[in-house]
Amino acid sequence: MLRQLVDVLTLKSDRPGRRLTAYYAILAVVVALLYYFFPATIRGIAERGLGDVSEGPMVLTDALTGTAARTGGPFGAGSIGALSATTVTILFGTLALMLPVSWVYMSARPAVGHNQAVVQTLIILPIVVAGIVYIVQNSLALAFSLAGVIGAVRFRSNLRDTRDLVYIFLSIVVGFAAGVQSMVVGVIVSIVFNYVMLVTWRYDYGRNVLTPTASAQWAWPLQTLAGPTGEREIPDRDLVLSLTPERAQALADRFDRVRTVLGKKNKKPRFNAVLRITSDDVPGARRNVEIVLDKMTKRWDLDEVVTHTGKPCEIYYLVKPLKSVPTDELLTSIHAHAADTITSADLETAQPANDNKKDGSKA
Amino acid sequence: MTVFAKLSLIAAFALSIQGCSDTPQARAAQAKAVGAQRLQALRKRIAAADADASKWIPVAEWIMPSQLREISGLALTQRGTVLAHDDNMGRVSEIDPRTGVLLKSFALSGQQKGDFEAITIAGQDIYLLESSGKLFKFREGADGTQVPFTVYDTKLGRECEFESLTYEAGSSRLLMACKRILNQAEGKVKELRIYALPLPLGDRSATTAMTIPIDEIRGKNKWKNFHPSDMTIDPFTGNYVIIASREKAYVVITPDGDLVRAASLPGDHRQPEGVAITKDSLFLVSDESNVKPPKITVYRWRP
Repeated sequence: MLRQLVDVLTLKSDRPGRRLTAYYAILAVVVALLYYFFPATIRGIAERGLGDVSEGPMVLTDALTGTAARTGGPFGAGSIGALSATTVTILFGTLALMLPVSWVYMSARPAVGHNQAVVQTLIILPIVVAGIVYIVQNSLALAFSLAGVIGAVRFRSNLRDTRDLVYIFLSIVVGFAAGVQSMVVGVIVSIVFNYVMLVTWRYDYGRNVLTPTASAQWAWPLQTLAGPTGEREIPDRDLVLSLTPERAQALADRFDRVRTVLGKKNKKPRFNAVLRITSDDVPGARRNVEIVLDKMTKRWDLDEVVTHTGKPCEIYYLVKPLKSVPTDELLTSIHAHAADTITSADLETAQPANDNKKDGSKA
Repeated sequence: MTVFAKLSLIAAFALSIQGCSDTPQARAAQAKAVGAQRLQALRKRIAAADADASKWIPVAEWIMPSQLREISGLALTQRGTVLAHDDNMGRVSEIDPRTGVLLKSFALSGQQKGDFEAITIAGQDIYLLESSGKLFKFREGADGTQVPFTVYDTKLGRECEFESLTYEAGSSRLLMACKRILNQAEGKVKELRIYALPLPLGDRSATTAMTIPIDEIRGKNKWKNFHPSDMTIDPFTGNYVIIASREKAYVVITPDGDLVRAASLPGDHRQPEGVAITKDSLFLVSDESNVKPPKITVYRWRP
């Protein structure tokens, strides 16, 4: 829905600056609407940390009987409901501020590719920081406790690009701003940050005259990726923006390899589908899956096993299913025979229409 | 589902959470209803406390909100309510000590920050004391407003660190008890010093000091020293009632400097920073957040 709204406002422009402006415009409208309905709450999280005073009487907790301000109902001032609403608003506000930062991070990177872990950290870290700061607030005791807990957790990571560190710092700043309920500071910092990053990227600010521009660095591997002649147009701008020269080259190499396996032009391809299995038990998964492939495919070949740390490995097969076997049936058999050793199985076929026709004729 | 329908759903959900209960009017109605119930409960507790005068038991104990996490001084208003303030922020809250209702809050203009330690009311003027001896003078403001102020430096910060301030109406003087005498080593303190500043402020040469030997204050108590954290005037006798945060104690001194009483505070007070005595014999002690939440404890005062 958000993307559709941004598309409408930008007339489907793919320029990051325009899309960013459109996003902030939408965000401003949403905040204005919320402010219209709940001025006290929004003002509270926007500038309370700066020392504003609340309006209206407040019933204090009676420590002798334990009766608190909640006597006025579950959602009265200072109640669990109000606390929950404020917390949710803070966390979603943080998320709304960090989304465009992550987009800028992914887009405005002239030389080095973006790190997915950093992207996810940019979204998650400020939410966690906001939560921590909201709890700690001015309590020295809680702050020391927090330091002790964090000291017990080893959190070390080497960032490839120093600019990544700046993004992490920003996420911490936004988290702090949200946590102390000074959202206005977070909003201004993130907006200025995003536009500054976009401008520095757009004009290659600080580029050495001897190094090629960002676009020149991309040119060669992307042309290779596009086709033998280099004349074909790259269809997906997001794909282009997310690739580094090294990755583009690696992808081009892989396409070449697949092209070799599939066969030359005007020749019937040896395989017409790619089977992707994810599993924590690669030997077991291979044993079970290959039994099924032997029975239900004309031919198959193990293409690649990609290992990951902390999540399931990926096993790629090039396959040519038997014409009499619909893809769904193949996947069903794989799941049935290898359920205890695989996490997921996906089949990407070059001839989905045929399968559909086959399925349709059966129906 | 259309975009409009989704937005309407979100708005409806938010409305259901928020309701219309967070308006000042709704809060006032809620506070009034709760206050009436609590007033009845307080009367019963006071009657119970009066029945057994040998024990000092709290008749009320109100947990402070986050903006008074470091509640410091207390000052009694003509209405019987108290003004309280936070240690770090020039922001004043009015609290009804009988019902535990925070009636209003206002701040010094420009959101002043500082080490505010005590507050007192002298006629129409309110004085907020910084530990360095600076006095911020201002008038009471409406809820949610900021008020203009003037600053008066007593120049006493060179001699003492202050946490106590009260107004003696009879002599029209501001009284400031010295928490720590700067040129005396902690173990060699010989006296409790109370400065008196006649109003209107301006003539520094008119400032006088009264001293009480610390040995006299210590008496049979095990305190090594006495560090005043706030003081007030007993409305029945006119004596000075001074509490000490570190010693968790209080002393009563006549305006002539004679010691009437020196004893430990009743109850569990982690960091008593403010004191006030109402005309209907309620003894209020405020504690800032220290392991336990910040609170104002109400006792029956027996002069």
